[in-house]
Amino acid sequence: MTPGSTSAACAALFRRDLTLAWRRRGDIAMPVLYAVIVTTLFPFALGPEAALLARISGGVVLVTVLLAILLALDSLFRSDIDDGSLEQLMLAPQPLALLLGVKILAHWLTAAAPLIVVAPVLASMLRMPANVIPALIAALVLATPLLSLLGAVLVALTAGTRRSGMLLALMLLPLCVPVVIFAAGAVAAAQEGLPWVAPIAWLGAALALALVLAPMACAAALRIAMDA
Amino acid sequence: MRAAESANVLIEARALTYSRQDEVVFGPIDFAIHAGDIALIEGDNGSGKTTLMRILTGMLHTDEGELIFEGAPYTRDTTAGAIVFLGHHLGLKLDLSARENLHVAEGLYGRRDGADPLGVLTSVGLAGYEDEPVQRLSAGQKKRAALARLLLVPARVWLLDEPYANLDRDGIALVNRLLGEHAARGGAALVTSHGAVSFAGDEPRRIRLHA
Amino acid sequence: MANWVPLWLHKLGSPPIFYRFAGVVRPWALALAILAALAALYGGLVLAPADYQQGDAYRIIFIHVPSAWMSLFIYGAMAVAAFVGLVWRIKIAEVVAMESAPIGAAFTFITLVTGSLWGKPMWGTWWTWDARLTSELVLLFLYLGVIGLYHSFEDRRQGARAASFLALIGIVNVPIVHFSVNWWNTLHQGSTVRILGPSHIEMSMLWPLLTMMLATKLYYIASLFARVRADLIATESGKDWVRAIALAENGDRP
Repeated sequence: MTPGSTSAACAALFRRDLTLAWRRRGDIAMPVLYAVIVTTLFPFALGPEAALLARISGGVVLVTVLLAILLALDSLFRSDIDDGSLEQLMLAPQPLALLLGVKILAHWLTAAAPLIVVAPVLASMLRMPANVIPALIAALVLATPLLSLLGAVLVALTAGTRRSGMLLALMLLPLCVPVVIFAAGAVAAAQEGLPWVAPIAWLGAALALALVLAPMACAAALRIAMDA
Repeated sequence: MRAAESANVLIEARALTYSRQDEVVFGPIDFAIHAGDIALIEGDNGSGKTTLMRILTGMLHTDEGELIFEGAPYTRDTTAGAIVFLGHHLGLKLDLSARENLHVAEGLYGRRDGADPLGVLTSVGLAGYEDEPVQRLSAGQKKRAALARLLLVPARVWLLDEPYANLDRDGIALVNRLLGEHAARGGAALVTSHGAVSFAGDEPRRIRLHA
Repeated sequence: MANWVPLWLHKLGSPPIFYRFAGVVRPWALALAILAALAALYGGLVLAPADYQQGDAYRIIFIHVPSAWMSLFIYGAMAVAAFVGLVWRIKIAEVVAMESAPIGAAFTFITLVTGSLWGKPMWGTWWTWDARLTSELVLLFLYLGVIGLYHSFEDRRQGARAASFLALIGIVNVPIVHFSVNWWNTLHQGSTVRILGPSHIEMSMLWPLLTMMLATKLYYIASLFARVRADLIATESGKDWVRAIALAENGDRP
């Protein structure tokens, strides 16, 4: 790969973000820890009755994972803004949308993928039947990148502001309603022994669309937010 | 002489003005930067030096006045790869070493003919610190690591916002030497400074911003 | 991009011209809005007969339905203004988009409140996860997100541009939310009561409804113009035309 080519740029950025995440691996554990804590609170609040927990397990795990991703999203551009790396990224002679796509991918791998790994454990703690777990994993594999992509656009919009945590949640909620509905719909269908492919297919279609459009929207949003 | 000069104008500003909340920050100003020019942007605090820098990077947009790059409108497409920016935030990742930081810059911007990460770190006086995480370097050494990026990437126009801050006498001399060499190669640079600068070699062009 | 579009919009979008235009239109729009609203309320609350099923409770539709229409209409207007502002960088369009958001949020809030008031006698509960009400709630969050983002920037124009972008994302999102909430409702066998009742309405009910719709539209124009004028006076305070207005005002009452 020749230095300065688009593929070299993507590779360098991808390696940089993974290296940085590895050097701060404590941060990777935070969303997972958060998800574990929130999930363990539910049996304490609702009682340990197995039938009740099994009924709510899908929704609880999905919403918990969503909140954990929301928690991690703020770090997507935060350090790059603070140390000026984002300016360097924006001035690079490369398609910004592609670079941001690489950043979102690296962020998803370090922040969301560990959540998918622990999700079956959390679901089992809530007595989710084993035959529903594949539907849960399929829903998460499609829903989490979708949330990362949508969230990245909104994080980019708040890049020029100071306080953004609560605002980000407010902005993301309307966008994640359909994602939650279809992901939870797939799990609920699996729990009732019905075919759950249709909502998964909808999620897949939305993800394909978001993969193309979200990085471009993210680039446009970032240029607006940095225009001051 | 003038005809020859206008042939290699890199950046030209005509009546460039910037307003924030409908209050004029600076301008209208006119200037032309040719290949081989080092221009010093002067002005007091709040006179808009950093704002002008951000406009020249293309990140900040202004509706008033005209900005031209090599005869074409100043857009991302025309300036891509020709400009490198060093701002208040150095753009260094503190958890990475100076060498790793340069590898990222090389990947994003490409590499100047004959330059390599180790070589440019030596020429800014960071030999022996290549693999030290940047957060363990002193403020002056961080600045030098950021200056090394200028030598590594092929950009012709350097935009340096307060490059002398945090540098000792040797460091200031280093910046002046790098600028001199860059100009001799046919590059151009715009430099902001609010202090008195003893620029070695030719007298720089001056762009004055009135507060 | 065609050149005449920005030229034409720039002329209409010149702050002093818009300021004067809005100042002339606003009192008329407000007066007509009040007249139309009074007529509609008289028609709806007094003249129209009681519903054979719901009795007098249905009369809340004369507030609820026009508000619901306006909540969507204003979102559309805001998105159009946001698009114009983003593409052609026209200040007046940015201001119109940002000043529309609180009005739209207010109509959405009224829709939600009247909807749940209506829900109590109809469904026996203040809130139900009906598809329309849920979509309306999401719409309220969209409005609040736009307002919140606008105010979180120090530079108002930059905030307006960022919030305009969010408004455009939202306009894509609204139909998706509506579709998904409908799908979710059928999945969970929710309430099947239709808010809008039978599709053929009595003429005596229809005309107050349409008149109220006209009144809310006029009120939106009056309210928007008042807000835009206040915003322009504040943000353009350094400009000559504002100084001229201020001097003229002070000339009357020193």
